[in-house]
Amino acid sequence: MTRVAPPARRGRDLSEGALAFWLLLPAFLLLTLVALYPVLRLLYTSLFRVNLVSSQAQPFVGLVNYLHALRDPRFWQTVRTTLLLTVITVPGALVVGLVLALLANLPYRIRWPVRLGLLLPWAMPLVFSGLVFRWFFNSQYGVINDLLTRIGLNPQLWLIRPNLAIFTISVAIIWKTSSFMALVILAGLQTLPKELYEAAQVDGARPAQQFWRITLPLLRPAIAVALIFRTITALQTFDIPYAMTGGGPGNATETIAMYIRSTTLSYLNFGYGSALAALLFVVSLVVTLVYLRYLRAGQE
Amino acid sequence: MSAPARRGRRSQLPLRLGIWIAGLLVLLNGIIPLGWMLLTSLKTSAELNQLPITYLPQAPTLANYGDVFSQQPMLRYLLNSLIVGLSATVLCIWIGTMAGYALARLKLRRRNLLLSLLIGLSLFPTVTILVPLFQVMRSVGLLNTYPALILPYTALSLPVTILVLMSFFSGIPRDLESAAMVDGCTRLQALWRVVVPLAAPGVFTAAILAFVNSWDEFLLALSLTTAQSMHTAPVGITLFEGEFAFPWRLISAALVVAMIPITVMIVVFQERVVSGLTTGGLKG
Repeated sequence: MTRVAPPARRGRDLSEGALAFWLLLPAFLLLTLVALYPVLRLLYTSLFRVNLVSSQAQPFVGLVNYLHALRDPRFWQTVRTTLLLTVITVPGALVVGLVLALLANLPYRIRWPVRLGLLLPWAMPLVFSGLVFRWFFNSQYGVINDLLTRIGLNPQLWLIRPNLAIFTISVAIIWKTSSFMALVILAGLQTLPKELYEAAQVDGARPAQQFWRITLPLLRPAIAVALIFRTITALQTFDIPYAMTGGGPGNATETIAMYIRSTTLSYLNFGYGSALAALLFVVSLVVTLVYLRYLRAGQE
Repeated sequence: MSAPARRGRRSQLPLRLGIWIAGLLVLLNGIIPLGWMLLTSLKTSAELNQLPITYLPQAPTLANYGDVFSQQPMLRYLLNSLIVGLSATVLCIWIGTMAGYALARLKLRRRNLLLSLLIGLSLFPTVTILVPLFQVMRSVGLLNTYPALILPYTALSLPVTILVLMSFFSGIPRDLESAAMVDGCTRLQALWRVVVPLAAPGVFTAAILAFVNSWDEFLLALSLTTAQSMHTAPVGITLFEGEFAFPWRLISAALVVAMIPITVMIVVFQERVVSGLTTGGLKG
């Protein structure tokens, strides 16, 4: 940087707007190719009867696929399962994540074991978490039933009874997703001003009071961000139930995402599967827009 | 929450003990599932079929690891995961650097709209693009090829990469760039020679996040590769089939092997991962 300036090179005078355009172009092209185009094609396909089994004409059927969805009991069953998993695992992961974050925020001398404890569940693939918990809750050789027997309780058919299976899958999802919640909340905790707590201590506030009156209200933005993110990913739940039950017993633990996949890739009914995916897309989009609005409100 | 005022060593002891226990709880919660798989993987087939179950392996053996590589195409799965993951990461960093720089430094008219779009895209439901992506890949003959996974993985990690890089680029003093440009660099040269090296920690952080995202992805890998030889590790391992029952001894060994690269990464680079996750990588 100390050398004498050589003569200006050509191309240097590319205007800032033009440079920005060329720099953003590859990202734009890729996202168009892999996100925008597929969504448009999805909406288009959902208006046709596209069945790969019969390679005959693929007639335009308008909204028939959507109407079919409304009268499809298996679809409603998957909606129920997905919502149930969302309603259980989002607050569940929040509570566990909050506890983990509070524990991780203590003044440790050595930080890496705590960080490892938070990062490992985040880094483990969802399907692996599903497999591990399937093994934990195995009715014959699982460690959970062994522990229950040891303390004098009855072993359970965790993944064989429908309601228990939903519960067991929820446990796996909460374990896997709470660590990410904890990381987001922990980042929020570390920005809280220390003086507030010192002042509270001077005023004689007990730790519990400090938590409810100071920590929780100040964490509200971090918690809201984490909650909305979790809700959107919960609506797309696929991997963990796939690895734990494959949707069984019967279709009791089949989620919307699993039904979309089997409708298209197993039954080759692309028109109907696209309609289902479009419905899920619209719901996710609404939640995302709510989220973006919230973020913008937070900035103002 | 704040450390109490200094007292005698003796009165600190219960506090330090409490902190120790709290830390141990967080650590155990994180490592027990993988730890249990590790213990399982060291047991013999006979021990795994014995009731009541054992906790520590009675006669620890590495035979399951040998069998995973000889009886299953485990090496192939790992190689596929590595090729797909590294390619997606490199592409993602390359494309993301340019976009992140433009968003951080250049005058853009619709900057906020672009940012909202990016955050929205980072929440994109994979299952909605699965069906059209399958149709496209099938019609252009890309099913069961690496690009079928590399392209979507790059796109899926791109929003997060851009957000992380953007925040790092914003932190680099403009003067350094101007100095390089006075020395005759074009703006683009200044980006690659000055800004990127200075933002190396950010680039590295984004790369780790992109790699972990790709290494962990399941739904697309399961659906866009039907040939066993093209499966990535998560898909291959989940689809292991046993002669009689689910082959837990092979699955546990394979799972432990597939977790090694990721575990090493998060142990070595944990601070970067945490900072990356909280600046832009809000996905999990």
